[in-house]
Amino acid sequence: MLRAGVGQTGAVTTTPVITAQAVTKSWGPHQVFSDVTAEVPPGVTGLLGSNGAGKTTLLGMLLALHRPDSGTLRVLGEDPATAGPDLRTHIGYSPEHHDLPNDVLAQDLVRHVALLHGLPRREATTRSSDALWLVGLGEERARPVGTMSTGQRQRVKLAMAVAHGPKLVMLDEPTDGLDPVQRDDVLELIRTIGTEFGIHVLLSSHLLEEVERIADNVVILSNGTVRAAGPLADLRVGDGPITAVVDEGVEQVVATLRSRGFEAGADQNRITLTGNSQGQPATPEQLADALRDAIADLGVPLRRMEPSRQTLEDLFLDEVYTAPFAAPEVDSP
Amino acid sequence: MTDLPNSGSPEIFSRGYRAYEGPRTGVRSGMVAVAVASIQRAFGLRRKFRFKVVPLITIFIAYVPGVVFLGVAVLLPSELASEVVADYAVYYGFISISMILLSAFVVPEVLGSDRKTGMFGITMASPLNRWQYLLSKFAAIMAVMATVTLLPLLFLLIGYSLVDLGPDGFGELIEILFNIVVSGVIFAAFFALFGMAVSTLTDRPLFATAGVVMGIIASEALSNIVADSTDAPEAIRLFGLTRIPNELTVRLWGFAEDLDPLESVSNLGSFGAWLAAVVLFAVVVAVGYARLEVTK
Repeated sequence: MLRAGVGQTGAVTTTPVITAQAVTKSWGPHQVFSDVTAEVPPGVTGLLGSNGAGKTTLLGMLLALHRPDSGTLRVLGEDPATAGPDLRTHIGYSPEHHDLPNDVLAQDLVRHVALLHGLPRREATTRSSDALWLVGLGEERARPVGTMSTGQRQRVKLAMAVAHGPKLVMLDEPTDGLDPVQRDDVLELIRTIGTEFGIHVLLSSHLLEEVERIADNVVILSNGTVRAAGPLADLRVGDGPITAVVDEGVEQVVATLRSRGFEAGADQNRITLTGNSQGQPATPEQLADALRDAIADLGVPLRRMEPSRQTLEDLFLDEVYTAPFAAPEVDSP
Repeated sequence: MTDLPNSGSPEIFSRGYRAYEGPRTGVRSGMVAVAVASIQRAFGLRRKFRFKVVPLITIFIAYVPGVVFLGVAVLLPSELASEVVADYAVYYGFISISMILLSAFVVPEVLGSDRKTGMFGITMASPLNRWQYLLSKFAAIMAVMATVTLLPLLFLLIGYSLVDLGPDGFGELIEILFNIVVSGVIFAAFFALFGMAVSTLTDRPLFATAGVVMGIIASEALSNIVADSTDAPEAIRLFGLTRIPNELTVRLWGFAEDLDPLESVSNLGSFGAWLAAVVLFAVVVAVGYARLEVTK
């Protein structure tokens, strides 16, 4: 019985949907993962990494299609190695490729996948139709897939992933090949699936902007290891600077902060506190407290105070390209 | 207030998304789904007419001689008809073209197209594993093959029985039925696994079709040339792919008239050749699929 994720009532729990503990995986002499440890919480999670970082291999291991060389994996509370078929019953998967049987009707294809996941025939028929309406292809459901555009095929793949009522869907590059308008639509749809339907979403992508738009959490893969993982809001804040916008007294605040041992600078009405001048580590909370105290002590009118926003691109570049080289980047053969 | 036009009873097109907490039918029904979809694909069902052409031709070739023989049996006196109509064993010669057509055109479409279209990976992301998938495919292909290796002979048996050319007594009926079923399995398994083995080697159904046709023609031609022009033993003819199942069924039916079994080959040798061939084909399929990458 599956223990984690969405319960019988549909209520979302905080138990991790996926956990990886010291997972290693090699394809022949090439090490894809070395000591990967991460947790994927409920909600929408972006799996980020450059091409060849091992995203598809990781999805394959989560689906129990490959076994890790060592370490443990848990998906929805189960070990894929021992509960593979039962686990896959509750997982929806949308592959990266757009190749689908051209002469098969969309409703037949989605129904077939629902049957594969063990739905009774009648349920498979009604739910495949519902899934196609959900992704906006209700009127097109009797069309052969080969006559559909790339955007429509991506929607068919989404319908295939959700029609059987999964607890977790894994989407491999779901916006690949879409124009901006189609991409917006599909991202909105994925966000809806992840937030309104109680289905956890693991979205593999190399497009940072789209992950930033819809993901609650992110896992960044690079050089065979997890470079960062956790809620996107927490990761983006990181140890970045704190800024405040004041109406007057900028120089006094900066001087006060420096006299208290902090590195501070100013640009017009904006004060930026970047760290501790003695080289001591300072948490974002300590920086915020120091800035708040200085402004309050001087009685300076405060307009706004916030952590400087770090984009996912900043985070990705920091984690991936400033990290030491750990292992060759190879994907499955 | 505006009156709405009366458009008949209301109909709900979209009921939105609902989580599914009902029963699931397990791996077995997933296997049935693969098999049913494969049979539909083989016969071109729910597809354009051009996909139905080859299945229709194979069925035409397999059944028309039987219809002709039955017509002759109805029109001629039974003494004369028994001299004219084909024996059961001889009838396999008429349907061998159908079997080759199915092996060359339909089996690659059923097996190879799943890899080409990514359906194999999608299936592997379901509760089925690759062996259950292959078993479903094999069952589907055997069912399709049975429409030309089994049903025409049963049709012939029923027809002959109706015109007084049928078996003499219950014992002979059982014997003929047994021979029809076993011969059907011998031919179906051989051509199904041969087609599957060739289809495993390429993702392109067209290449597989060419491979099956060339394999049959080349093996027949080479084995006959070697047997006729050298001092090689006559058993070399068993390297001809159509010869292997034909040789075994001829022996099963008891060396029927008009058939020419290899005298230097024993019954056990004939069975061994068939078994070795089907095991070889099965190993090619199994090894090919065991090595197949599925998540791309």
